[in-house]
Amino acid sequence: MKRYEVIIVGAGPSGLSAAIEAAKRGIKTIVFDENEKPGGQLFKQIHKFFGSKKHHAKIRGFKIGEELLKEADEAGVEVVLNATVIGLYADKEVVVRRGDEVSHYKGDTVIVATGAAENMVTFPGWTLPGVIGAGAAQTMMNLHGIKPGKKILMLGSGNVGLVVSFQLLQAGCEVAALVDAAPKIGGYGVHASKVARTGVPFYLSHTITKAHGEDHVTGVTISKVDEHFSPIEGTEKYFDVDTICMAVGLSPMSQLLKMSGCQMEDNPKKGGQVPITDEYGETSVPGLFAAGDVSGIEEASSAMIEGRMAGVCVAEYLGYCTEEEKEQILAELKEDLESLRQGMFAPANRGKEITETEEGIAVSKNLLQHGFLTEKEVEKYPGVVHKVGVHPVMECTQNIPCNPCQDACPRGCITIGENITYLPIVADGSKCSGCGMCVASCSGQAIFLVDEDCGDGSATVTVPYEFFPIPEEGSKGFGLSRNGEKLCEATVVSVKSVAAYDHTNLLTMRVPKEYAMAARFFKAG
Amino acid sequence: MNRIEEHPILGEPQKGREVTFTFDGKEMKGCEGEPIAMALKANGVMIHRYTKKEHKPRGIFCAIGRCTDCVMVVNGKLNVRTCITPLEEGMVVQTQDGVTAKGA
Ligand SMILES: Cc1cc2nc3c(=O)[nH]c(=O)nc-3n(C[C@H](O)[C@H](O)[C@H](O)COP(=O)(O)OP(=O)(O)OC[C@H]3O[C@@H](n4cnc5c(N)ncnc54)[C@H](O)[C@@H]3O)c2cc1C
Ligand code: SF4
Ligand code: SF4
Ligand code: FES
Repeated sequence: MKRYEVIIVGAGPSGLSAAIEAAKRGIKTIVFDENEKPGGQLFKQIHKFFGSKKHHAKIRGFKIGEELLKEADEAGVEVVLNATVIGLYADKEVVVRRGDEVSHYKGDTVIVATGAAENMVTFPGWTLPGVIGAGAAQTMMNLHGIKPGKKILMLGSGNVGLVVSFQLLQAGCEVAALVDAAPKIGGYGVHASKVARTGVPFYLSHTITKAHGEDHVTGVTISKVDEHFSPIEGTEKYFDVDTICMAVGLSPMSQLLKMSGCQMEDNPKKGGQVPITDEYGETSVPGLFAAGDVSGIEEASSAMIEGRMAGVCVAEYLGYCTEEEKEQILAELKEDLESLRQGMFAPANRGKEITETEEGIAVSKNLLQHGFLTEKEVEKYPGVVHKVGVHPVMECTQNIPCNPCQDACPRGCITIGENITYLPIVADGSKCSGCGMCVASCSGQAIFLVDEDCGDGSATVTVPYEFFPIPEEGSKGFGLSRNGEKLCEATVVSVKSVAAYDHTNLLTMRVPKEYAMAARFFKAG
Repeated sequence: MNRIEEHPILGEPQKGREVTFTFDGKEMKGCEGEPIAMALKANGVMIHRYTKKEHKPRGIFCAIGRCTDCVMVVNGKLNVRTCITPLEEGMVVQTQDGVTAKGA
């Protein structure tokens, strides 16, 4: 039996981060992953991440993945691909299957970083070809360049459902509707708003009652649900779609940990069956660690920190670093992790009803139910001010751990304050140059540049635009409202794209000035 | 067409050379090295197999090798997960009907 000082199961963001911390200290490290490529979920994520600089904010997921792989390579991490771990025992024996071959390894320590599996819901017709998981949709379009369908209905309004809906639009698919049985949108308001403004309708308190089709999906019926989530007769709505995409949550893939005999718990706040660990991921079995989604569903940013924590703990356990060194690094990592676990969507707040922001402003009900802010509501938030000349309008209204907008502005126009979850505000007396860096840096695509009165009865609105085809300068079309309705005629003044914007084009349109605070998207006419 | 020609963030998909394979005897084109299921999807194929007992159609569901909905008969071998098996020139891909190839 081959022996390693640390065996890591899973080469996603958490597993790779753990491996880097171990290998760079000279520890004999091996990582097994069942995939043919390393990186876990990261390579399917093409949006800019939230968080702060320390958490790689405003960098797209797949770019973070590339950086991580490079770092792992430099640290000398050995990754074995197409290798599924099928057994894990308390004495840290690991059973690996590669093709038809099964081999046994012994670890002095083991870190389980297997991530999560997608949940499913059933309804008549759910097994038809054309009903797919959100992960499958991402795999098809972002890894293989294949459209999952022409017209798609998305079930699930958590961040995964919202982000994947936007990605489907980017891939050139049509999204017919976004449906969720819950009465409120589960994911970030900014993610919902960027989907809503393209015209995708949201149906909260609705569920799928039937997928139609003989051989594959040809349509879907949804119905409104009552407070017990039972469909209400007579409320059926039919959509002509060829694909139904499910994004109804993730569950930790903790089977290996269970098999090892470490203590487990059923914790709904963490997404299901998880190992009981200390704050750095060590289970009840000394030397056996868990990191990332397998120990509680969170995000790639937190998974990477948890991985590093486990890696450092392993290093100390094996005598490769002193206890003081470990404590010092862990204290820093803990601070980074805590800052991500703040705000309205913090794991501790799951299931709680939040009615006010930290600033004491009422949370928009319309945003939670329909995915967009009303024109009246938007005025309540500190990122929305009226000024003469071009100025930023930040429609960011929920406390989320995110601050790249503040770092982006070279003129100090935007401040978040000492707490990363505070809402962005327009700094007093600041003068915006219209450079557009804030618009391109905003992970939530929630910042617009507005010149409310150009003096000739028109206004200009600059919006982030990540779609093809890119409208031509001078072309005519329509200004769309926050829910994607045609408001007014609009002319494209310019479309700017520079390397620093990282593929977020800045489209400036001219609209009649009464629509300056209403038009938030452009549609070619 | 089910292929993304150019993506606003990812640019032009990086693909292998064009190869020919057959699906239930019909000649089709795909890209070398992409999962067989992706080549089929690009050609508009939705049904990968029929279940044994109830003869119900199944197609891609997870696309990462976990659900086994996408298994087919590939080069005569049963139960090949087409979502994680790379396409090669000349492959013979058949719809799986229960535990045999369709029409077998
Ligand atoms: C659509 C979507 C959008 C997201 N957006 C964001 C975001 O904006 N910001 C953010 O921070 N996070 C985001 N996330 C979450 C993030 O992707 C995950 O939290 C993160 O990938 C978890 O990392 P991980 O290393 O724990 O697991 P994973 O990335 O899932 O990696 C686990 C790895 O383990 C391997 N594995 C599993 N079981 C075995 C086994 N038995 N043997 C061998 N290998 C095995 C898998 O193949 C995989 O490579 C998003 C997720 C999705 C799906
Ligand atoms: S456009 Fe430039 S100057 Fe104006 S607020 Fe944004 S980053 Fe600052
Ligand atoms: S406005 Fe600032 S805090 Fe809000 S999503 Fe954009 S970058 Fe993040
Ligand atoms: S689609 Fe699930 S195994 Fe291939």
